[in-house]
Amino acid sequence: MFRTSDIVLIGVMVAAAAMTYSIKRDAGEQLAAVRKLQAQIRTEEETIDLLKADWSLLTQPSRLQRLVERYQDQLGLEQVNPYQFARIDSLPQRPLSIEDITAADAAGMPIDQTRTGAVE
Amino acid sequence: MIGRINPFRRNRQPGDDSSIVMDSARKTTGGRTRNRVIMTMAVFFGIYAVIGGRLVYLGFQDPVPSGAPASRVTASRPDIVDRNGEVLATDIKTSSLFAEPRHIVDADEAIEKLATVLPNIDYEQTYNKLRSGAGFVWLQRQLTPRQQSEIMQLGIPGIGFRTETRRFYPAGATTAYIVGLTNIDNQGISGLEKYIDGQGLADLQQSGLALPKDLAPVRLSVDLRVQHIVHDEISSAIERFRAIAAGAVVLNAKTGEVVAMASVPDFDPNNPVNAQDKDRLNRMSAGLYEMGSTVKSFTTAMALDSGKANLNSTFDATRPITIGRQTIRDFHGKGRVLTLPEVFIYSSNIGSAREADIVGIEGHREFLHRLGILERMKTELPEVARPVEPKVWKKVHSITASFGHGFTTTPLQTAVGAAALMNGGYLMNPTFLARTVEEAMADATRVVSEKTSADMRYLYNLNATAPGGSGRRATVPGYRVGGKTGTAEKVVNGRYVSGKRFNAFLAAFPMDDPQYIVLSVIDEPQALPGQGATAGFNAAPIVSNIIRRSAALLGVEPEFGQEKAATLASY
Repeated sequence: MFRTSDIVLIGVMVAAAAMTYSIKRDAGEQLAAVRKLQAQIRTEEETIDLLKADWSLLTQPSRLQRLVERYQDQLGLEQVNPYQFARIDSLPQRPLSIEDITAADAAGMPIDQTRTGAVE
Repeated sequence: MIGRINPFRRNRQPGDDSSIVMDSARKTTGGRTRNRVIMTMAVFFGIYAVIGGRLVYLGFQDPVPSGAPASRVTASRPDIVDRNGEVLATDIKTSSLFAEPRHIVDADEAIEKLATVLPNIDYEQTYNKLRSGAGFVWLQRQLTPRQQSEIMQLGIPGIGFRTETRRFYPAGATTAYIVGLTNIDNQGISGLEKYIDGQGLADLQQSGLALPKDLAPVRLSVDLRVQHIVHDEISSAIERFRAIAAGAVVLNAKTGEVVAMASVPDFDPNNPVNAQDKDRLNRMSAGLYEMGSTVKSFTTAMALDSGKANLNSTFDATRPITIGRQTIRDFHGKGRVLTLPEVFIYSSNIGSAREADIVGIEGHREFLHRLGILERMKTELPEVARPVEPKVWKKVHSITASFGHGFTTTPLQTAVGAAALMNGGYLMNPTFLARTVEEAMADATRVVSEKTSADMRYLYNLNATAPGGSGRRATVPGYRVGGKTGTAEKVVNGRYVSGKRFNAFLAAFPMDDPQYIVLSVIDEPQALPGQGATAGFNAAPIVSNIIRRSAALLGVEPEFGQEKAATLASY
């Protein structure tokens, strides 16, 4: 007749089989998930490429120029003049206005005596 | 065990009759049974032999092509970006629809269903394709993602999709000649696309190693914004002056980088139906022209560099020069002795001929070769023409060459030569790939002295600022533009005709330390009402507009020097 040890071994065997099955099944599911993610990544990458191309198409200087020409009047756009380019140190000191003095006075700050707001 | 379970059998056994009967029965049928076994075995052997033989036969047979063709691993190409990283060419994936006619159940139904999504489908052609019995046919290339999902919804058996890589050029015609084209197999066939293939990409693709991720983008020296300005200006100039062609190039004088180069008429690389037309030619590097008076820059530089002339030298331009059957006259003749700067700014042909004369014929030829004007240009672009010069130089050739006739060269090469005159005397090969000053200087060769270069800068500046100078129409306030006009009459049927001109303007800015060379050319411009048709009226304004619009993008600071204009600052 069956001995206790046999029953135990049979139990172990069944358990091992069940475990193997579930691990294998899990692994299969994980693999499927990985494949799905990989496919998703690939789609995303392709979409990024497409969007990049789209972006460069939308920011083409030729397209921007067309838009500027169309909305020039509404937005009051004008061409930049070479006179408008300068370095910060080539700009003259901003003269103090009377508002600056009163504002500084109200804040209780001493006024720089060297800059009186007079014509420089 | 049976005996034990059923013990009664044994008791019956003593009845020997049955055993004898059984025995005899076995004996009588024994031979036949063996035969049957052998026959069965033979039949089975036969069947397996046929199956095995068939397998071997099929193994040697080439499989009938079925399903979609293998995915092309050769399709990947690196992106091409401009110097600021803006995309000029990229691979995008598109889906194409194919059918396997063998698996199509009902061709009529399939076509009717497809027509709901693809209204432009050709019924008859598609029907013939689907009934052809072929393994694989393309139905429609490059579908939109929306069309793809709609066709998927139809659930037609025997059709499928294949993603294909397609080259896409966001800048379109603006960079057409620089970036070039690829063919249907994504191999470069012109422009820098072809150059990239020559740099080992083709081998990579052959071995299947060209994976999209590993291909670093190719960074060009081109600035897309400036390129657009150049393209825009020459496109409007060709219309305004009803010219047959126009082109311009912006060259970095310090590094030899081509910042922008365009030529019209051109083509749309995304739909290059007319790319093979006769007039679609990159005139800046593949067009050969007699450059006319712009070449006087080189003649003057040669005279100065030889040491036989200086800025105070004088040349007799009182009378035309007659040599053989030809007479050399001046367009703006002064009829007196001219100083060297006057020869330059009045663009005197006679004076230039005298300048060439003091150097000698061989010296003249050698100088033009030294500046690379008569050599085939070395650059990345494959479309480069070889300059044409007289086989044997005689006196007349030297004289005509002194004012830019009698030999042809490409406009780009002329700009490169001018860069050498402006940047202190260093000739560097033009490049379309990003390069630093150090890299450029490593390959540069000195062609004229520092002194000559300084004198040439003075003359270029003088030509744009002095009264009577031909470059005045190219000036831009604040950017100190200097330059030289060139109006060449074109040769038709072996004769120079006065109505057809090829005009050029060669400029550098800012003149105190030239950073950029700008060259514009315009082929057969028509005069505007009340104006002339010489280079000062058409080629020079192109340069002026390009500089006005692009100088800030190129990082050149305006400076008003003596003008002392108030800086505009609003508080």
